[in-house]
Amino acid sequence: MRHPQRGRGGGGCGRGLARGGGGSAGRGRGNGHGRRPGGVKGRERESDGGIIGGSKVLVMPHRHEGVFIAMNIKDVLLTKNLVPGETVDNEKRISVQNEDRTNVEYRVWNPHRSKLAAAINNGIDNIWIKPGVKVLYLGASSGTTVSHVSDIVGSEGCVYAVEHSHISGKGLVTMAKKRTNVVPIIEDARQPSKYRMLVGMVDVIISDVNQPDQAKILAHNASYFLKPGGHFMISIKANTIDATLAAETVYQKEVEKLQMEELRASELLPLEPYEKDHACVFGGYRLPRKHKAATAT
Amino acid sequence: MAETKPLIGLKWEPKFPGLSLESNTGSKVAAESHESSSLWASKSDLVDGICLPPTDPRKINKMIRKQLKDTAGSNWFDMPAPTMTPELKRDLQLLKLRTVMDPSHHYKKSVSRSKVAEKYFQVGTVIEPAQEYYGRLTKKNRKATFAEDLVSDPKIAQYRKRKIKEIEEKNRAVTNKRWNKKGNQSKNKKQRRN
Repeated sequence: MRHPQRGRGGGGCGRGLARGGGGSAGRGRGNGHGRRPGGVKGRERESDGGIIGGSKVLVMPHRHEGVFIAMNIKDVLLTKNLVPGETVDNEKRISVQNEDRTNVEYRVWNPHRSKLAAAINNGIDNIWIKPGVKVLYLGASSGTTVSHVSDIVGSEGCVYAVEHSHISGKGLVTMAKKRTNVVPIIEDARQPSKYRMLVGMVDVIISDVNQPDQAKILAHNASYFLKPGGHFMISIKANTIDATLAAETVYQKEVEKLQMEELRASELLPLEPYEKDHACVFGGYRLPRKHKAATAT
Repeated sequence: MAETKPLIGLKWEPKFPGLSLESNTGSKVAAESHESSSLWASKSDLVDGICLPPTDPRKINKMIRKQLKDTAGSNWFDMPAPTMTPELKRDLQLLKLRTVMDPSHHYKKSVSRSKVAEKYFQVGTVIEPAQEYYGRLTKKNRKATFAEDLVSDPKIAQYRKRKIKEIEEKNRAVTNKRWNKKGNQSKNKKQRRN
């Protein structure tokens, strides 16, 4: 979102030792402590939350329903933890105590790990996912993004997570054991007939499969499970579709392929600072046509 | 028989003298004039403090609406609005001022939240995972409020103090500059023996 500040991590540690440390020996020791872990983690952890453990933040509702934002020197995206006390991928949590002594917990959503978070940070208009919605997630991998989606849809919604690989599927199943609204499906997304018994009609399909024929996969699944008037999100990696063409051309071609299958794209958003040559497309499926006569009057 | 109307459904009404659903007395005034009857008392007769629930549907709705808690709505999991204390007000103020706190840190122009009143927010603390043990704040560095936390970083504090000094200098700029002694140089004649 903004410049991740490396100095902050080192400064944070130096802070603790500044009073007690005294001589350069002490400071050197402190620097060693602070820099090395910060350096090793480097880029991938920085935007996980430039907020330091123990600091206070203000949590506010985000424009999108079910999503929150924590503000301090830096801002981070949050979802309300469906399983308080548990993290899925060792992310930071934010604990809030309400006035009536109840505790609420939020989890930090890392846009570098999750394409949906990257899209939200880049200013998507509408993610169509909100509390109570049923989501089909193709290409769930180990379930980090799926866990955040399950946080958003809450206990009334449902997330059907499809993942073909057994290794990632293991992670998905352990995550789903803790969350009652996630249904893990270890099947090939190319054959939705194989899991048609597990999935009902859904409101939103999210596709992160990264296959050259992903438009067809999405269309096939949509014809089985997506309700008319439902919405979809697909993330396009330019290199998997066609490594020779420029990224924008690849995106356009994908949008046209989707158009032919009644998946009408409404937004195309490059995920620029978080992923290179990636874009995500949001759109609607069999949306009701607006009658021109009605708008004329 | 043509006289009796076919009654659809059950019909019951309390037997108040002079008042009936089918009577065409019309306005309430006419109805109220029956105050001589023993069963019906006008509203002014009722003693204050004996609370009857209001019969007016608008008033009933108002009561129901008042009982609802002030939250951000079910879409944000009923985030409650905190009762505003001066500390919380200061927290919100400082949040808006964070653009000026660090000269090197620049913020995106966020959605102006003044339209949607900044009613719903919570103050939380960050719990770091075990891997980030060395990057966390020590107990002594943890502050009680969000405002104190924003303000406590020593580098930012340095910049702030310098800026405050500069502003005060400007505001004080009436006196003769040569007389502005700084620090140890300001000794009066008696002290300046050597």
